[in-house]
Amino acid sequence: MSFVKQIIGASLLVLSTAAMAETAAEAAKKPVTPPKPARLADGHPNWTGFWVPVDGLLQHDIGLGGSPQMPAGSPPPPPPPFSHSAPLKSPYREQYAAFLAKMAAGAVADPVARCFPPGMPRMMAMVYGMELLQTPGQIAITSEWQAASRRVWLDRTTHPAATDLDPSYAGDSIGHWEGNTLIVDTVGIRDDVPVNYIGLPHSPKLHIVEHFMQISPGILVDDVTIDDPDVFEKPWTERQTFRYRPDLRIQEYVCLENNRNVGANGEAVFTDTAPTK
Amino acid sequence: MKKILINMAVMAVAIAPIAADAHHSFAMFDRNKVVSLKGVVRDFQWTNPHSWIQLVVKDDSGATTEWSLEALSPNVLGRMGWKRNSIKAGDTITAYFNPTRDGSHGGNMVRVMLSDGKVIGGGQ
Repeated sequence: MSFVKQIIGASLLVLSTAAMAETAAEAAKKPVTPPKPARLADGHPNWTGFWVPVDGLLQHDIGLGGSPQMPAGSPPPPPPPFSHSAPLKSPYREQYAAFLAKMAAGAVADPVARCFPPGMPRMMAMVYGMELLQTPGQIAITSEWQAASRRVWLDRTTHPAATDLDPSYAGDSIGHWEGNTLIVDTVGIRDDVPVNYIGLPHSPKLHIVEHFMQISPGILVDDVTIDDPDVFEKPWTERQTFRYRPDLRIQEYVCLENNRNVGANGEAVFTDTAPTK
Repeated sequence: MKKILINMAVMAVAIAPIAADAHHSFAMFDRNKVVSLKGVVRDFQWTNPHSWIQLVVKDDSGATTEWSLEALSPNVLGRMGWKRNSIKAGDTITAYFNPTRDGSHGGNMVRVMLSDGKVIGGGQ
């Protein structure tokens, strides 16, 4: 059998098993459409619905494990979201170097691997999708990842005083519209919420400003600017890009249900010890 | 059939664009390799944050070893067309997976062939 015939045979085999229903990855190949109607009654853009990151799992079809195959000689994987920071200032620089060494040795955990909420800004970069719900006075954003939720308050223009603001995973977010751009300002994020999945630290001065824009019909970007004058030499901005997916609805995802990837130090591991029924 | 699937594994070699944040890194798996094992399913855990196939594999001497094969979560597998009963205890399957780097009995699922020859999973 020629290699070409083998390829055709393999393709038919896959097609024959996927004939019943369109998969999310197949639907992702269709033309992008925006939410309808385009505007809410108050005149602002209507973004209500389910959005998935264009680099996420629901836009691509890469196998059962979600792990792209990496032949020998492949370039290294891209750095995790929110890792393009300016250099760190001392003592955070030295502390972070020590943390990375510990993480490489499996001695510390990523809180998300232990099923803690990703918090801000990571919850805007998780692999599944997010649901936006707009209602007068607030916009609710729920990541499908652990149902991590945040509220963007449109009905106040200032954050609570620092003495009144208990740090939280998502922080306190206030928003306003400038034309068709939603600008969101967030403070009050817990110290133990890393900026990315390799433990990038921050101080109580972490300040995140986001610009949400629909840059083309059905494509929403979130330009996330991260500033922390105690930790980073200067602010930096990373863009998250989402596609509107009217074919999908948010689903439940409870990370604690069966988390078998936690080691003795809370680090992410693989264990071949299975619960016996 | 086996030969075709081995070639599919070669075809699967591609750099996927996944660049978002996930439950854990894949550093524990050797993604340069895809190996296959035929065995009997003891348990299919359709759970978060990962689904698991517990596969009992018999060697030439008749001794059995149980393998833990990690797959995506139901919210992704379900949108690929899987169902919670796509694989059942007692099914004989051939699993294709990236093995663990530390040699423990497990890996990261790539695809599955059922006993009737059907392949389930993403198109890659």
